[in-house]
Amino acid sequence: MRIAIRHTLSLTPPPDTNNLVFQLLLTPGSGATQKLERWSVEAPGTSNAARFVDAFGNLVHFVNQMRPDGPLAITASGIVETFDRNGVLGKPGGEPVPALFLRATTLTRVPVTLYGKFRSTREDRIATLHALMARVGEVLGGSEAGQQQSQDGQSQSQTSGAPKADAALLAHGFVGAARALDIPARYVSGYLFGADEKPAPHAWAEAYDPGLGWIGFDPSLQLCPTERHVRLSVGLDALSTTPVRAVPDGEGVKTLEVRVEAA
Amino acid sequence: MGDATPFDEMHNPDGTVREPYRALAQWIEAQPENGLSLMQADAEGIFRKLGITFAVYGSDEGTEKLIPFDVIPRIISAAEWRKLSRGIEQRVRALNAFLHDIYHRQEILKAGRVPAKLILNNAAFCPDMMGVDPARGVYSHIIGVDIVRVGPDEFYVLEDNLRTPSGVSYMLEDREAMMQLAPDLFQRIKVAPVETYPENLRRTLESVAPANVTGTPSIAVLTPGIYNSAYFEHSFLADQMGAQLCEGQDLFVDGGKVYMRTTTGPERVDVIYRRIDDDFLDPLTFRPDSMLGVPGLFNAYRAGNVTLVNAPGTGIADDKAVYTYVPAIIEFYLGEKAILSNVPTYNCTDDDQRAWVLENIGDLVVKEVHGSGGYGMLVGPTSTKAQQAEFKKKIEARPDNYIVQPTLALSTCPTYVNAGIAPRHVDLRPYVLVGDEIRITPGGLTRVALKKGSLVVNSSQGGGTKDTWVLED
Repeated sequence: MRIAIRHTLSLTPPPDTNNLVFQLLLTPGSGATQKLERWSVEAPGTSNAARFVDAFGNLVHFVNQMRPDGPLAITASGIVETFDRNGVLGKPGGEPVPALFLRATTLTRVPVTLYGKFRSTREDRIATLHALMARVGEVLGGSEAGQQQSQDGQSQSQTSGAPKADAALLAHGFVGAARALDIPARYVSGYLFGADEKPAPHAWAEAYDPGLGWIGFDPSLQLCPTERHVRLSVGLDALSTTPVRAVPDGEGVKTLEVRVEAA
Repeated sequence: MGDATPFDEMHNPDGTVREPYRALAQWIEAQPENGLSLMQADAEGIFRKLGITFAVYGSDEGTEKLIPFDVIPRIISAAEWRKLSRGIEQRVRALNAFLHDIYHRQEILKAGRVPAKLILNNAAFCPDMMGVDPARGVYSHIIGVDIVRVGPDEFYVLEDNLRTPSGVSYMLEDREAMMQLAPDLFQRIKVAPVETYPENLRRTLESVAPANVTGTPSIAVLTPGIYNSAYFEHSFLADQMGAQLCEGQDLFVDGGKVYMRTTTGPERVDVIYRRIDDDFLDPLTFRPDSMLGVPGLFNAYRAGNVTLVNAPGTGIADDKAVYTYVPAIIEFYLGEKAILSNVPTYNCTDDDQRAWVLENIGDLVVKEVHGSGGYGMLVGPTSTKAQQAEFKKKIEARPDNYIVQPTLALSTCPTYVNAGIAPRHVDLRPYVLVGDEIRITPGGLTRVALKKGSLVVNSSQGGGTKDTWVLED
């Protein structure tokens, strides 16, 4: 499926900001489930931005603006061709070792009641992961309404390019539970091409199987990612996949308003 | 190790003077009756003039203190030093190889020689460092290895200190003071120089500049500021190296590169000797509330535009829980047996070992895994029953937070005290520089526990320092 995405954000630095420093994780990678046809990231200052690949394999634009004037518009846009591989990404070379994704983080802390029953399972890993996805949906997913909302693929503005809270919550729950079971798991930030034929920010998880490699699990939709899923970045949790992270280099300023629109 | 008479570095068991100390002993003998006491008084004056102080955390009296200095030097023979420096070099090579490995392919974890969880779930492991290739592959450039001696030929490494070891300014000032106090002694005894340290530090830092730097690299020392206990040392080293001393607010990142604000405009910085902890280095990547660091600094590092010394994430290799694996780490990367021994360490998460530890706590030393500076530790033989009970409770509640070691009979050196010359326990922190080559300053900082019988040498706990002499052949 060919999906056209235009992700615009507005970064408003506080008045009198001396140096606005920010990084953008807004470039999808190519792999088994998707191919970038074209993609561009535009923001004031990107012409002399440093680009590097971060610890988790994401391409980062590292930008700063001395004495920024008013809100900065950031646009990531392009076309991604996606393939349905039942979520199987395999073992592409050059990735960090899977064991890195066994690390517990604050956001992926989960109660033992979520995963305890799988500790002594006799099922193989893939069956266990599917059962875990169901369990996470059951415990953390709450109502049908929650799932429905995610599928709608809303186009109204949200903050920080973040997916709906429930998708992030479920992805963190799945990741934390898998790691507690000694299964490497990572958090995926991306887009979901919804039933309304519009892409919206979304989040899911990937777990590692020694045979098949990385496999996607979307606990808020209760399925393995399809050709409607576009991977944007991966990391330990939502914090390490934040699309825009910024620090105003000034006195006593901590917060920034970031607006996201997906269309 | 527990009850043995401590090794006296100056005297043989029969009372005769050991070879390395012979010339010193004759010199002391020849001094007039109040000679040493006058020297001690002069030393105070010299240090007041030099202005060396250190801050004691949690102390009620003024925060600034003069660190006590003992006028009797500690002496290490050329042969003893050769063995020590070979052992130290071996450790720093292996630990740098280990750091490169765990932040890349993690072969040692795959081989099961070090438990993966111990590393990957450790707070000192820095996931953001995965895949970073620091200049020359060096992670820990400035190292202060803590060593204790328990016999003529028996040295143990207590800690590797691969993050930002302090105290090197005391080593330099102790030598400076000693040369002023007893210039004649340096005529009689050939002592290896330590004054080359600042020059070697500068050469080391220049040698690890990013590959794209042409010309002489620009070096900055990054300090948390004047309230840090080691601020004196930060300014001292910057001054000695001819480098800029700066705080986070003096630096900024533009176009992925690091600059210093100066009165004549921004100046590019290539190498930063940072004395700020990892967490506070960069609010963009690490703690967002940090006011000490430089926003974007880590990304500029990751993009290869600046070198951070030491690299972030080096703490994983001197973590107290990883310490027990250092001999295995040396074997894995170098295929050699460790030249310097580790202190046997008990693992409290093991039920049998913990039970034994709780039973024998009065003979043992208990340390917090992430503690330093002698804070939060228990020295069994000198502790009260109440303190022992308190630590037993702590160990039971969080066994993974503590390591336990036997109480070592630290060697003693003659020390000038009120009652004259008396043996006091010492340790040794040699300073190592790793860049284009490995440079170990002969000697290091000797810390001495001035209280009779005390084994705690930390300056924050009433310890002093001595000049340390490595004899030349």
